[in-house]
Amino acid sequence: MIAQLKSELLKVRSTRTTVGLFAGMVGLTVLIVLLTGLLTHPDDLVSKHDQRGLFAPSAVALIFSGLAGVLLITSEYRYGTIRPTFLFTPRRGNVLSAKLIAGLLTGLVFGAVSLSLAIGIGSLILSARGIPSTLSGSDFAVLIFGGLAGTALRGAFGVGLGAILRNQVAAVIALLAWDFVVNTLVFGLAPSVGRYMPTPAADALMGLKTPHLLSPGAGGVVLLAWTAALALIGLALTLRRDVT
Amino acid sequence: MTAVVAESLTKRFGDVLAVDDLSFTLQPGTVTGFLGPNGAGKTTTLRMLLGLTAPTSGRSLVLGKPYTTLDRPALSVGAVLEATDFHPGRSGRDHLRILCRTVDLPDSRADEVLKIVELQTAAARRVKGYSLGMRQRLGLAGALLGDPELLILDEPANGLDPEGVRWLRDFLRAFASTGRTVLISSHALAEVAQTVDQVLIITHGRFVVESSLHELTSRVGGSVRVRTSKPEELKEALHREQLEASSDQQTLVVRGANTDRVGEIAFNAGVPILELVAEGSSLEEIFLDLTSELSS
Ligand SMILES: Nc1ncnc2c1ncn2[C@@H]1O[C@H](COP(=O)(O)OP(=O)(O)OP(=O)(O)O)[C@@H](O)[C@H]1O
Ligand SMILES: [Mg+2]
Repeated sequence: MIAQLKSELLKVRSTRTTVGLFAGMVGLTVLIVLLTGLLTHPDDLVSKHDQRGLFAPSAVALIFSGLAGVLLITSEYRYGTIRPTFLFTPRRGNVLSAKLIAGLLTGLVFGAVSLSLAIGIGSLILSARGIPSTLSGSDFAVLIFGGLAGTALRGAFGVGLGAILRNQVAAVIALLAWDFVVNTLVFGLAPSVGRYMPTPAADALMGLKTPHLLSPGAGGVVLLAWTAALALIGLALTLRRDVT
Repeated sequence: MTAVVAESLTKRFGDVLAVDDLSFTLQPGTVTGFLGPNGAGKTTTLRMLLGLTAPTSGRSLVLGKPYTTLDRPALSVGAVLEATDFHPGRSGRDHLRILCRTVDLPDSRADEVLKIVELQTAAARRVKGYSLGMRQRLGLAGALLGDPELLILDEPANGLDPEGVRWLRDFLRAFASTGRTVLISSHALAEVAQTVDQVLIITHGRFVVESSLHELTSRVGGSVRVRTSKPEELKEALHREQLEASSDQQTLVVRGANTDRVGEIAFNAGVPILELVAEGSSLEEIFLDLTSELSS
């Protein structure tokens, strides 16, 4: 299991895919924080809610962690490396578990970097513009730990989704459509249902206070449930399906 | 312990019966050619042996156990199913190091096998820039990582140039000469005739022939080409053994015998042999005869 995890982590590091996603996430995070921090009217950067929004460019890190997770497994099917992988480790459950952990770790790194950049740059901008910080230590704790847990879970979430769909293009489209279309639509039309969707749950986990969101704890449980469900379905299918 | 056992292996894809009640046994130390035309069910059979595909019915054992229950099978079984199973953006060495990690082999083992397949100079390059021949070798390198006693290769000669085919043949011979077992599939008998000592021929998922190469050649009356400095004497000696030979100067073509038999007859007759070859083309004809019989 440890051996398999080492192998999975080297897979992640040895191509430019994840590095490319990482660079994209860093660029977008910086861009969004700069634009929001510099262009927003000072009055709209004062409340806790505003400042959380500035420090938590959640969508970016969550999307990219999910994508990294999806690619972690679908690229094996796309390029056929799944065959040598399963020949070396025929216990497919071990492979998938290692990939889920690799997804968690990748998401964790993505989240850590994204949050550091957003909080670092965001705080600099606030102090440069003379806007006092209104978030308390515990607010920051929820933001940081919730953000890390959210992106980590999203990495594993992506692995689960990828294990179910296998086809890379289909899985990427499914992830983006789910995040941008389904979550937004359902949350917009029926927030009492939509808040149980993965993205609003991840937002809640970071302590965002958009109306109708769950509490951070409940958001965490819901996101964990989604991730576990995808992982288990992905595992069951991976064990059953033929590799051709 | 037998190297490979297949017991009534059957695989159905919807209406297609890809593999139909196939049973066979491979003894350790044998080199077996697994032959059949396109779509015969070779790849499907190998996938079932290696636990990638579940048989519809029947079962198979590799080194005494179902492949999926072997502990770190890569340390005893090396297998390549597709020549192209690499991430194009990853270096050959990294591809191997990734496989090393899963079975706790040191990274240095990757460099050792790269040397065996003569890919050291390309090791750090991304696979994207490899030729098909280089990819075949990289695949083989992956199979060799665990220093296996059994090698299972699906069409390893596909896409190789003549030099590459010869390299592979020499490699497999050297591998087998250490008493290890090889199962290699091909859709051309001539391609493997010089490497294997027994053949399994299938078409439509069923056996047509399961025999040694010698038996096959003699049974269906293959021919042997022999060049000698005394053609007339050899012709007479063959005639005494009820064998007919057509001659063209120094070269005789003998039908219905294998190289062992012709060699012995020549030896007993005291005729020097300059060249003795089982005819590849006639092997190919045998193969076509056998596989088309069932198809029609
Ligand atoms: N995943 C699959 N789904 C449906 N049919 C399949 C699948 N895999 C193989 N088949 C069918 O099973 C039969 C045997 O295919 P297989 O690939 O095993 O043949 P093969 O002997 O390896 O042929 P080739 O020499 O072309 O590689 C073919 O009719 C093929 O179409
Ligand atoms: Mg095939």
